[in-house]
Amino acid sequence: MIILLSSLVLSSSGLKSQPKDKILPYPILQYKMQNSLNVVTVPFDSPGIAAFFIIVRAGSRNEVEKGVTGFAHFFEHMMFRGTEKYSKDKYEDVLKSIGASANANTSDDRTVFHMVGNVDKLELMFEIESDRFQNLKYSEHDFKTEAGAVKGEYTKNYAEPLSRLDESISNTAFAAHTYKHTTMGFFEDIVDMPNQYQYSLKFFDRFYRPENCTVLVVGDITQDKVNALADKYFGKWKKGTYEAEIPVEPPQAETKFVHLQNADVPPYLALCFKGPGFSDSDIDLVALNLIEGIVFSSKSDLYQKLVINERKLRRIGFYSGMSRDPGLMEIYAQMKDKNDIQYVKDEIMNALNGIKTNPVDKKMLSEVVSNRKYGFIMRTDNPSAIANTLSSFISLSGNPESVNNYYSLFDKVTPEDIIRVANKYFNETSLTIGTITADETCVIK
Amino acid sequence: MKILKVLISILILVVINSNLYSQQVVELNIPKSEKVVIKLMFRNGSICDPEGKEGLTNLTASLITSGGTKELTYKEIQEKLFPMAAGYNVNVDKEVTIFTFQVPKFFLNDFYPLLKGLLITPAFDEKDFERVKSNIQVYVDQGIRASSDEEYSKKALEYYLFGGTPYQNMVQGKTASVQSITLDDVKNHYKNYFTKSLLMIGIAGNYTEEFLNTLKSDMNSLPDAPVAVSQKVTPKFPDGIDVKIISKDEAFGSALFMGFPMDITRSNDEFAALMVANSYLGEHRKSYGVLYNKLRETRSMNYGDYSYIEWYDEGGSNMLPPPGTPRSSNYFSIWIRPVQIAKQLKKQYSELSDIKIGHAHYALRLAIREVDKLVKDGMSKEDFEETREFLSSYIKLYTQTPASQLGYLMDSRFYNRNDYIAEMGKLLAKLTLDDVNNAIKKYWQVNNMIVTIVTDASEASELANSIKNNLDSPMSYSNLVKAGMPKEVLQEDDEVATYKLNIKNVEIINSKETFK
Repeated sequence: MIILLSSLVLSSSGLKSQPKDKILPYPILQYKMQNSLNVVTVPFDSPGIAAFFIIVRAGSRNEVEKGVTGFAHFFEHMMFRGTEKYSKDKYEDVLKSIGASANANTSDDRTVFHMVGNVDKLELMFEIESDRFQNLKYSEHDFKTEAGAVKGEYTKNYAEPLSRLDESISNTAFAAHTYKHTTMGFFEDIVDMPNQYQYSLKFFDRFYRPENCTVLVVGDITQDKVNALADKYFGKWKKGTYEAEIPVEPPQAETKFVHLQNADVPPYLALCFKGPGFSDSDIDLVALNLIEGIVFSSKSDLYQKLVINERKLRRIGFYSGMSRDPGLMEIYAQMKDKNDIQYVKDEIMNALNGIKTNPVDKKMLSEVVSNRKYGFIMRTDNPSAIANTLSSFISLSGNPESVNNYYSLFDKVTPEDIIRVANKYFNETSLTIGTITADETCVIK
Repeated sequence: MKILKVLISILILVVINSNLYSQQVVELNIPKSEKVVIKLMFRNGSICDPEGKEGLTNLTASLITSGGTKELTYKEIQEKLFPMAAGYNVNVDKEVTIFTFQVPKFFLNDFYPLLKGLLITPAFDEKDFERVKSNIQVYVDQGIRASSDEEYSKKALEYYLFGGTPYQNMVQGKTASVQSITLDDVKNHYKNYFTKSLLMIGIAGNYTEEFLNTLKSDMNSLPDAPVAVSQKVTPKFPDGIDVKIISKDEAFGSALFMGFPMDITRSNDEFAALMVANSYLGEHRKSYGVLYNKLRETRSMNYGDYSYIEWYDEGGSNMLPPPGTPRSSNYFSIWIRPVQIAKQLKKQYSELSDIKIGHAHYALRLAIREVDKLVKDGMSKEDFEETREFLSSYIKLYTQTPASQLGYLMDSRFYNRNDYIAEMGKLLAKLTLDDVNNAIKKYWQVNNMIVTIVTDASEASELANSIKNNLDSPMSYSNLVKAGMPKEVLQEDDEVATYKLNIKNVEIINSKETFK
């Protein structure tokens, strides 16, 4: 609590107050085990409750071979299929007895296994998780059966036209990098999953290794306790040797186009630019995050013009995103009338061109920084939220302190940085345009 | 650590104050918190929508949060709000509307005039109205049918289950009703239903008594219209199993929901017994439930299968049940996530080239058969003990944030309880196996229910024919999966395939005709 209060100090300039120093007002206590497993403890005042996360730095980015896209996600499913000591049913019985909220999820850069529950059951959590991370054992039949659940997940997602558009945009925007496929994978690979049992064993052997993982505990707990449990349950875990060679994406030379015909949803425009890979020392990503606030937030001129005054759009937004390698940043606009697509695209490009030449107002810049910092504080008020946030940064850099490093950069961004970054990234040659309209084709310049 | 816990228990004070201004106030004072959460719950909800103006409560509330005030335009509000990273939203359900405001404690006094303006002096500007109404219109015209087939199926289930009652329509309304709403309708609805006598104030976090008094005093300026107390909605109990197949183009699977009215809510102590039964049958997004185990884990049919004894908001995105949708009329339901259709299975597996339907009929039978078994046989002692132990810990996770803790306390008041989570904990501790099995027999049955299936046009008529005539519906596995399937599973498949359902009606409805 003392740390928390001291991190929020009154500022004499402009805004009433701004969080200073480390954005996360709780200590991030790290312990690197001999087998390279990183163990992170964040004591947090949540009486009786702790979040227990394991972050595996393997996601769809690591799926470099043909025919096995979607495997990181599929493997997340397989991790619930049991070991010799804890069969699938026994694992579930133990999980149920813990009374925790437990699940897992996968994205481009990582797979996260998470539990939140009674801190008194933390040792049991360590025991069952360490067992499956080291001793996972499933039958070929279980493997084939689980593939159907993945297909079921794809089937549910397919109902959403935007998820189909995103799938096409990734496939078109990237020529070589594995961000070309979504985390779900290509559908033909999903259908073929039951035939890839041998590959699944290889996948586990490659990626579910201590050097690739972080154990993270946030809540009503001390570091000593967590480290002792980590030593006891993960101490014998053997390091691996595999390193995926991720294809490097060649520079894009011209604008690419993707169109989806669908009369059942409002017309939609997505402008996707190639962005930078994650860094907690380079200012580009933070500047792009601020550009989101400056150009696209609900107080921005563009939003007020297109959404509020002219009412051409139902919504507009920008995901500057954070990915380990250079990924896609997406500006999206849901329209009322498909005939406005060119106009909307031109207005967006005009706004982006504007910040390429005109220095942003310092007050505006300061307000966006304030929004980002207080937004962070507002979001991180419980163990799960803190663990989720740290998981993102661990997956990106391997180091949870990246969260503090990243947020410390916000104060350093100048109007000149905004101009430089806008010129660097918002170019038509690195653009992929996605559209949805009722028409078979969509012509857009 | 123990000392710290004692301190916290002293600092977190839960107080009900219903004397001052005749307002009901729920307090959760957390002096160490960095933020303040304010919830304003109005006892109105979509059941207050006049006939032909369905969606009016939602549009009124949405205009309050997405419009300006007499003092500030929407743009000016956004400009003030932005650097604070403060936010607000509204959730309208059948019987309540809840505005939630969250703000860093440092900005509370700067933020408060915005809150006050939005509630007490909303602008109800014509341009804001057109914008907000247009966005809701596109949701009822297109969004509901074209985003998530599961959510679509769930809303359709309520539409048919509550036919002819104020619960029937989506909170957002339907095509014709939203079209007919005028700005004057909104202004009148605000005066009649966003009144001080229908308001419950909730506040959590780091605030002062002085601030709370100001809030209470200002909310006393809300409209003061006489309250028309709504009657409890009592839906007609279905006669037999009534299946609505909603046929749409380009569906990739069949999304099923099924349910029947159930005359019990959180107010009733028996609810704890049903919580155990329901958790055992199909705990939301958990792999422990019987339905999940049979359909997903054993047979690989879909992404998940769950059951419910009350409304669960945004089940696709929430892992834990959010507060804020208390209801006095309730129903039991089962959610079968999209299963495969014949068109897709035929494409994927040559051995299935002659099937006429996908997995929907089989899934329907299996789910109802599991409820049937539970009603007939009850839970075992071991399953009861395991499930009760799980729930006793699990329900405490519903309130991990100040906002969710406050929300659950406010919902508790709706059900005439003080603290639902704590009280359920005590009731769970006292439960016996007989309590649970008696509650199952009392409230659950399998012969009368509504079923909604959102599916592809290519699947609809054969599926309707199969269900209507109780035709055998053998499970169609790919050879790859079937080869390793245990004998007892295949045997059970045979029993499920011929399990007779009390089908009374099967109807195919064109997706374009729904929610008009």
